[in-house]
Amino acid sequence: MRRAESGPARLYHRLVVWALFLILLLPLAGTLLYSLATSWSATVLPSGLTLKWYLALWSDARFLTAFGHSLVVCVGALLLSVLLILPLLFVVHYHFPRLDGLMNVLILLPFAIPPVVSSVGLLQLYAGGPLPLTGTPWILIGCYFTVALPFMYRAISNNLLAINLRDLMDAARVHGASTWQAAFWVVLPNLRKGVVVALFLSFSFLLGEFVFANLLVGTRYETLQVYLNNMRNSSGHFNSALVISYFFFVLVCTWIANHLNRDLP
Amino acid sequence: MSFLVIEGLHKRYGATSVFSDIRCNIERGEFVTLLGPSGCGKSTLLRCVAGLTEVDGGAIRLDGQDLLPLPPQKRGIGMVFQSYALFPNMTVAQNVAFGLRMQKVARAERARRVAEVLALVELTELADRYPQQLSGGQSQRVALARSLVTRPRLLLLDEPLSALDARIRKHLREEIRRIQRELGLTTLFVTHDQEEALTLSDRILLMDAGRIVQDGSAEALYTQPASAFAAGFIGHYNLLDAETASRLLGRPVSGRVAIRPEAIRLGSGPLSGEIRGRSLLGNVIRYRVASRGVELSVDVLNRSAADLLLSGRTVALEIAPEAIRELEG
Repeated sequence: MRRAESGPARLYHRLVVWALFLILLLPLAGTLLYSLATSWSATVLPSGLTLKWYLALWSDARFLTAFGHSLVVCVGALLLSVLLILPLLFVVHYHFPRLDGLMNVLILLPFAIPPVVSSVGLLQLYAGGPLPLTGTPWILIGCYFTVALPFMYRAISNNLLAINLRDLMDAARVHGASTWQAAFWVVLPNLRKGVVVALFLSFSFLLGEFVFANLLVGTRYETLQVYLNNMRNSSGHFNSALVISYFFFVLVCTWIANHLNRDLP
Repeated sequence: MSFLVIEGLHKRYGATSVFSDIRCNIERGEFVTLLGPSGCGKSTLLRCVAGLTEVDGGAIRLDGQDLLPLPPQKRGIGMVFQSYALFPNMTVAQNVAFGLRMQKVARAERARRVAEVLALVELTELADRYPQQLSGGQSQRVALARSLVTRPRLLLLDEPLSALDARIRKHLREEIRRIQRELGLTTLFVTHDQEEALTLSDRILLMDAGRIVQDGSAEALYTQPASAFAAGFIGHYNLLDAETASRLLGRPVSGRVAIRPEAIRLGSGPLSGEIRGRSLLGNVIRYRVASRGVELSVDVLNRSAADLLLSGRTVALEIAPEAIRELEG
């Protein structure tokens, strides 16, 4: 690796990096400190430190239920997307490479339509009729599937392009594997990296989703973000503890994802 | 009947025909090369034999068995790809064992046969490496081992040496030939490199634009090209049209004429010519010599620096009559 320049330039570079780091960290550090403070109003530093807000939070049944709801919805949506997108990508890349262009347009749709607009449409569609899903976790699972689609599709698609799918499939088939066996033994293991990245990226994104959760389901199946919104009038310390807990959880997930991907040969 | 029989094979993509009416016979244990420029259909033909590409008509029979209804995994064929196509998630040993695992060969038997074939390609000590940790030459030897371990009836090699550098290529070329002879393996080899084809093959099928234009031994192909295309593709023939050839040879010639550059002797002979330039190819010096207004390539063995002929010198030259090849068409 090239050493950084000496003297003023190096100092400047370090300064920029540290400044950026501080800007990103400061609100978080403030929140952390606030969540640990007994009270913190008129003084520069909090008057005392305590864990009582965390204890209150983690013994609140409503919070634990909301957290559980969030996990169920996110994991459900991601399971659905893995089950649907993996075979879809395989078919697109192996049999109909021309469809990739169409898919690239389709996966932009969730970005192109603002959540507020599409949730109004979804409400109209699923409020009654043959599939009254509004207010149930099922509509969130389906909706989150569309939100996760672009992340999943792009990450796995890049991974597929990098492994030279066609030659690997051909080699596996010539040497005795059926198409299914080739996909299972040769292609799938080589997609692990892309799938793990896509899963954790989508997971942390979906866990923080608020608009769909609030408009489509609201308090009838309260998720973490909706709970946070409903608690906005309670103690700021309590809410800070909630934000830090949430952040810490995502951090741990990201760390696990990185760890899982590191031991690849 | 021959071991591998290809009869009237057709393949087209949409309106464009890749090849049509391909027929050839390959004997048991023979090393046959499909040689041709890129896009001539040779790789597609190989993939049809492997079952990776559907054909539009014709028949392929291996040892009397019709191959066309069989999927690739049931054909008993081994194949090596230009891109190696090793499985990145498996070690060298696991890559090689893949075919046996698919055949549900018992673990102990599998280990024994993998060790055996790894010894054959001299890779025993790399058995636990992953493909990313191998050089190109090593990767291709693993791919070769992977295709040999199932004891295929037919080995297909699709430009296996094209991605390798020159030194490795020569070495691996000899290895492939040694192993093929040791196992008596019927082999179909695809390349666009005439040197590879000439050094390796028992027989060469020269392909052009979806047709086999010449079928013969390396010697026959080199000394008796059947057409202007063959002469242009193999060696570095001087290709002359009828009029130019008549002028040079001093007798009327009806068709095109091909003259090998090493069949022209400098220093004595009835013709006289002027050296126009030269390029050093290593053991051979290739001169450009103009005689009777015709510029010829002449190859001379590079014996000593003192023998070098400078540009502008006039030399006598002789064309061996048996090396003058008149082509039809």
